[in-house]
Amino acid sequence: MSSAEKAIPRSLAEIPNSRPRYIGRPTNRLEDPALLTGRTQFIDDVVLPRMLHCAILRSPHAHAKITAIDTSAAEKLAGVAAIVTGEDARRWSNPVMTVPPGWGTHCLAIDKVRFVGEPVVAVAATSRYVAEDALELITVDYEPLPAVVDARQALAVGSPLLFEENGDNVMFRKLFTWGDVDAAFTDAAHVVQRDFRWHRLGANPLETFGVISQWDEVEGTLTCRGSFQAQNHFAMSRAMVFNLPLHKVRFISHPHGGSFGGKGGARGTDITALLSRKSGGRPVKWIEDRMEYLAGGASQAWDRHYDAALALDVDGKVLGFRVRLLDDLGATAEGWGAVSAAKPLTAFTGCYAIPAAQYDLTIVATNKLPGSPYRGMGPPPHNWVLEQLMDLAARELGLDPAEIRRRNFIPPAAFPYTIASGNEYDSGNYEATLAAALAMGDYRALREKQARLRSEGRYLGIGLVTTIEPGVFDWNAYAIVGQPGTGVPEGATVAIDLFGKLTIKVGFALEGQGQYTVAAQVLADWFNVDIADVRVIPLDTLSAPPHFGPGGSRLGVAVTGAVLGAAQRLTEKLIAVAAGLFRTTPDQVELRDGRIGVKGNPEASMPFQEVAQAMLGRSDLLPPGIDPNPEATYVWTAPGRTPADDQGRAKSYLTAANACHLVVVEVDVDTAQVRIEKYWIADDCGTRLNPASVEGQTQGGVAQGVGAALLEEAVYDEDGQLRTSTFMDYLLPTIYEVPMTVKQALCTPSPFAPLGAKGCGEGAMHATPAAILCAINDALAPLGLEFREVPASPQRLWTLLRQARRDR
Amino acid sequence: MTSTRRIGMTVNGERYEADVEPRTTLVDFLRGTLGLTGTHVGCEHGVCGACTVLWNGKAVRSCIMLAVQADGAELKTVEGLARGATLHPIQQAFLEKRGLQCGFCTPGLMLSIDELLARTSAPTDTEITDTIGGHLCRCTGYQAIVEAVHLAIEKLRTK
Amino acid sequence: MKPPIFDYATPASVAEAIALLARYEGEAKLLSGGQSLVPLLNMRLARPAVLVDLARIAALDWVRVADGVVAIGAMTRQRTVELAPEVQERHPLLHAGLQLIAHPQNRNQGTIGGSLAHADPAAELPALAVALDASFEAAGPEGTRTVAAADFFLTYLTTALAATEILTSVRFPMLPARTGWAIQEVARRHGDFALAGVVAVVGLALSGAISRARVVLYGVGATPVRAAAAERLLEGHVADAALLASASAQAAADLEEPLTDVHASADYRRDLARVLVGRALAEAMTRAHAA
Repeated sequence: MSSAEKAIPRSLAEIPNSRPRYIGRPTNRLEDPALLTGRTQFIDDVVLPRMLHCAILRSPHAHAKITAIDTSAAEKLAGVAAIVTGEDARRWSNPVMTVPPGWGTHCLAIDKVRFVGEPVVAVAATSRYVAEDALELITVDYEPLPAVVDARQALAVGSPLLFEENGDNVMFRKLFTWGDVDAAFTDAAHVVQRDFRWHRLGANPLETFGVISQWDEVEGTLTCRGSFQAQNHFAMSRAMVFNLPLHKVRFISHPHGGSFGGKGGARGTDITALLSRKSGGRPVKWIEDRMEYLAGGASQAWDRHYDAALALDVDGKVLGFRVRLLDDLGATAEGWGAVSAAKPLTAFTGCYAIPAAQYDLTIVATNKLPGSPYRGMGPPPHNWVLEQLMDLAARELGLDPAEIRRRNFIPPAAFPYTIASGNEYDSGNYEATLAAALAMGDYRALREKQARLRSEGRYLGIGLVTTIEPGVFDWNAYAIVGQPGTGVPEGATVAIDLFGKLTIKVGFALEGQGQYTVAAQVLADWFNVDIADVRVIPLDTLSAPPHFGPGGSRLGVAVTGAVLGAAQRLTEKLIAVAAGLFRTTPDQVELRDGRIGVKGNPEASMPFQEVAQAMLGRSDLLPPGIDPNPEATYVWTAPGRTPADDQGRAKSYLTAANACHLVVVEVDVDTAQVRIEKYWIADDCGTRLNPASVEGQTQGGVAQGVGAALLEEAVYDEDGQLRTSTFMDYLLPTIYEVPMTVKQALCTPSPFAPLGAKGCGEGAMHATPAAILCAINDALAPLGLEFREVPASPQRLWTLLRQARRDR
Repeated sequence: MTSTRRIGMTVNGERYEADVEPRTTLVDFLRGTLGLTGTHVGCEHGVCGACTVLWNGKAVRSCIMLAVQADGAELKTVEGLARGATLHPIQQAFLEKRGLQCGFCTPGLMLSIDELLARTSAPTDTEITDTIGGHLCRCTGYQAIVEAVHLAIEKLRTK
Repeated sequence: MKPPIFDYATPASVAEAIALLARYEGEAKLLSGGQSLVPLLNMRLARPAVLVDLARIAALDWVRVADGVVAIGAMTRQRTVELAPEVQERHPLLHAGLQLIAHPQNRNQGTIGGSLAHADPAAELPALAVALDASFEAAGPEGTRTVAAADFFLTYLTTALAATEILTSVRFPMLPARTGWAIQEVARRHGDFALAGVVAVVGLALSGAISRARVVLYGVGATPVRAAAAERLLEGHVADAALLASASAQAAADLEEPLTDVHASADYRRDLARVLVGRALAEAMTRAHAA
């Protein structure tokens, strides 16, 4: 299209409908009837002719040489069609791409294993039962090597090495300095410095990863169906792994039973592709089971050791913020590797106007499961460190936690505001969000209640945190760890059929956030039709316009931009045709409330559908040279993004949503149990395209935050054995642990994003762990105790409380 | 050596018979043999509740039940809730209250709620919590599910 | 996570089941509700040659509340007992304990006898059985015999049942008048196995002194653990805070090394035991005074 193309509407007032019915309203979801009746086709529901089932034999050792593999007995088992080992992987594939490069392996271990659960041999058989029977007939001889499980030990001289050829276990090291940090700390009246420890935990969607791969050696193609969070990214990586041109690789994403970043599946996809090839092209299905997911899937993120400090002046104004992070990424940098440690750059200093900051980042390899993304990607632990330090600083200065935050907020007039680490926040009103939460919870009364109960020997804690959720992710945020690119395209094709109904074709599958409904809401309001007249169709990687899909709190905003852009283009086409029909020029024709007509002449108009019908069925009426296809595609990418400088500074994430969480917990100091009593959330994510969806994302984020704060942890022993290998030990929160929250929505629309919406899908995960930990510390303050470990498991709390009991 | 056993059961009012290996779990039988894929598999060790079905009217985890144990039983799965295109009041309540996001845990959860509401038309809050408490939902944070249960109670009362 | 191959038998009578156990000489495994066994099969941690499913033996599925006893057939589902109005009314401790077992969906399938015979030391039913002086009826090739709860639980997952014996029923005596009870536990989440739990029963004399005390801990040893010394401290005395504190300290001190696992150390479990015994006794005392 021409350079004169209209900008994407940034407010509802800009769309051609005087009475929009769907955008901004809690619209029922199009996807729900199929989900509620069990008709949605998840990957494990798919059966293909001659399909085989894969089971994977995994390493029982954290670190060992493989000296021999004997699959002969398994090969003889009836029903076994193919077996692959590291030798097949070496012959037919490349190691996976990693961030940073050079820290990856093939999908099946070659020569040595690096973590418990690493795939070693895979079998394809007529059923999963038989495939698992076959695994028991395979023998693998290992020569155990010393394992390194602790990140600090991995840095020590003489540590066992994960990749000998790399010389040490340091995957990445860089000191980022933004502003005069040294001066800030020299000039400070107060410096608050602490260490913090965040243990491994992760996504655990209810559906694990699944895939069916089919290798066609005649066509030279690979077709994979599965629960891929970002199908295009998967296809690209597989093309590189198998030396295939990208157009020979087709990825078909099925609806997911949740993802949260931790769907994973690259190894399983590659393994099934190898098995399909070896079995002569039969489709091979692998459904990761829960124990595989916990030991070898995308189930673990954020294994972090922090040492951080705030420099403050006498009034409690923060002058500088220093963070030293030792990030334990596990055995490899596959998946998204170092990306999660880089993401805090997008909101390093939180809601606060902190002029100088420093990030001393070291990422190491250990003999544990490679880390994966998880909701929020990197900021949830970082926010906890910052918010807890703010509380501790408040305590040192004798300020209320609310007051120290108020004194440091970026003021509303300062937006757009560039933070020290380089990202630009689009808009916000942090003071208003804080005020709303305090009013909802009646903060003063809470403090009075706390004092009263303390005199009765009960320990109530109040947690108050204010956080940023960077929205609409951009590759440029990750340039510093070796991930190239600026901009993340998301495309949509909208079309009108001969009967006047609408379709939107997209490149992503359902995952739970409700983006099909958002897309349909936008298009229904654009053309002023019933939402039931819009259908959203997911396309595979070779059919869809350029796309990425869900991730980094982007898709709601991005798909809105894509649908608006496509609708706008389609409207231009309709107008060109209608101008011919009305014997006028296009500039005299407009779409308004679902009718296309001559401006200022209500008599000369017709339903937009009729224009489309003319395009498809009445070529005799069309102006010469017109494209008769009532369809248009638009690929949206965030405007105004900039490449990163050598300190990682860039305009990266487009939007900055803001929330204030206020929580009351009670700590039973005798049993070390923490109970969440009340929870309030004031949240500003700009325009809410579908408020019910936003609310669901918020509450879901709270649940995952509760899990992180109190329950969830992947525990390894000194030998690198996973001790939390089932749902009996890896503890997801249930209804008993998750608070029913009271929420209030505020709206500071984004001046840059489509319809003013801000990314909000990762939501409460950014704030809840910090809020609960701050509350626990607030409860423990009268005992003179500080607790700086996540999760705050009863065992850890009890150890601290017992120590205090002894000391007294 | 694999031996099979002839079993029969009624699922959602339809009679089925099949030969199964004794080791076949009920959920694999329902999904794989009968093709009723609305029942989902989340953990295969009886914790998450995604595979919950009604066994003679009682909610059970079909991943830790063998198909042979259900020989002669009456089962109900999510496919048995709606009548044609008309959603069951529990389904309709989930839709209206947004009691689901990814929808993977939802079929099992709705069957537990179905059992509860068949037993009592006015469950206590504790009974509602205990019913939901046997299910893991990773998306919703449970709040909308509780609201959906209350709405379902209302819908069933006024039906 | 798919089970290994096994055969499957559905005896119609206890005698037939016993004969199967004898025939397979330790290679057979009894299947009752399967809530513990089938997960182990799925993980291939249990590999029986044959599963002997007791569910078709109708004679094992019954509840009778009479003569001061709640008697239950071994294959009765936990939920059936929990929802029985006469159990709720006449044996509130048993009712309360049943509600702590996992989740309703597990109790719908899980059986009373299955849980007792599985003998997980962190489970509620074994502790209730010991606290209530329950008695077990077992049937074997030689006939039937009665085993007292105190003699039934030998060690972790091991009972006094012989390899060819089947638990057929259990009798839980009801509590006498002027008796209070409590069951308290700490678990990571509601429905998880307890890190530590306690069943406390106290009977009061007309004087107000404790005439009979029963304190049984679970989750802290290889079997349910009776805190005998603590019981003796309590009996014959009027309860006050100091007495309860010393009894709970005694109960905790007397524990042999509790289990250490990923959720709780031995020391934490011991300390939890102390706190829970004190709280449970206080709750039981309140009930006893109200009774």
